[in-house]
Amino acid sequence: MKGAILLALLLYGVCVSAGPINEARAHTNYQLYCQGCHSPEGMGHKSIPRLAGRVGSYLKLPAGRDYLVRVPGAATTILSDRDLAEVLNWIILHFGGKSTPKDFKYYTAREVGNLRSRPLLKVREVRRKLHEQLGYSGK
Amino acid sequence: MNFLDRFIEKSARHLARSTSRRSLLRGLGGMLVGSAAAFPLLPVARAADKGKVKPPQEKGDPTSCDYWRYCAIDGYLCSCCGGSYDTCPPGAEMSPVTWIGTCRNPVDGRNYVISYNDCCGKTSCGACLCNRDEGDRPPYRADKANDLNWCLGTDSLAYHCSTAVLIGVAFDEKK
Repeated sequence: MKGAILLALLLYGVCVSAGPINEARAHTNYQLYCQGCHSPEGMGHKSIPRLAGRVGSYLKLPAGRDYLVRVPGAATTILSDRDLAEVLNWIILHFGGKSTPKDFKYYTAREVGNLRSRPLLKVREVRRKLHEQLGYSGK
Repeated sequence: MNFLDRFIEKSARHLARSTSRRSLLRGLGGMLVGSAAAFPLLPVARAADKGKVKPPQEKGDPTSCDYWRYCAIDGYLCSCCGGSYDTCPPGAEMSPVTWIGTCRNPVDGRNYVISYNDCCGKTSCGACLCNRDEGDRPPYRADKANDLNWCLGTDSLAYHCSTAVLIGVAFDEKK
């Protein structure tokens, strides 16, 4: 019985720490579909939004969570719903740092599929409003 | 005080005995030459991910359009313009914004992620035009279109040539 409990705890630990992310696939997809603009370290550039130390903060607002999927660069990519959810989760865990809420819930393929069917049209306006609510200035 | 005088005198005499007047020049010269070798003085731009990937075995001529890294390139090869496949020619600035694709290395049969950073700030190089379009998409899929001028985020929009920087091993779903 003790062995079974130990095994269950061990498996739980592995699942929680690894999450539903294939690290190699997510990294390649980041390189192929995001990095060209957002840079290898997620630092952005001039008008390109910075991910590092910031991307997780959008999750504090329901509209911010939606925004990360509905922003055209994400919503209109050729990645499948599964792969887009995976790379978004990877970005948040990899670049979010302290900006990521501790109770961050992974995006699922279903959630991403639903949100990306309504890509944002007025991106700058939406981002500006989110930044106002989050207390950011600039890009 | 006496002790201090003696100590300074002894040290100065020792220095005078053990060094020549030219040794200072020799030391300074060595330092200048050494630092020049260690830190190139010319401003050569490099893509940020370069160096994180173990370089694979490669064969072929980087000044030829057939070279494996160029499978999705569209532009003048920086290798023919005074740079290399992963550095810009002197005086050109590497664009931090770029388009990225994958190419298969014929030596090991693996697919690698290649970043086609443009070098900008000088007029078109005009040498070794190479237009191979694997994975190229129409301009309405801007992130995967190589017909665009990718001199974005640089001081100048003037396009000079294109690099092919190896930034990773592509994930293989079959493995």
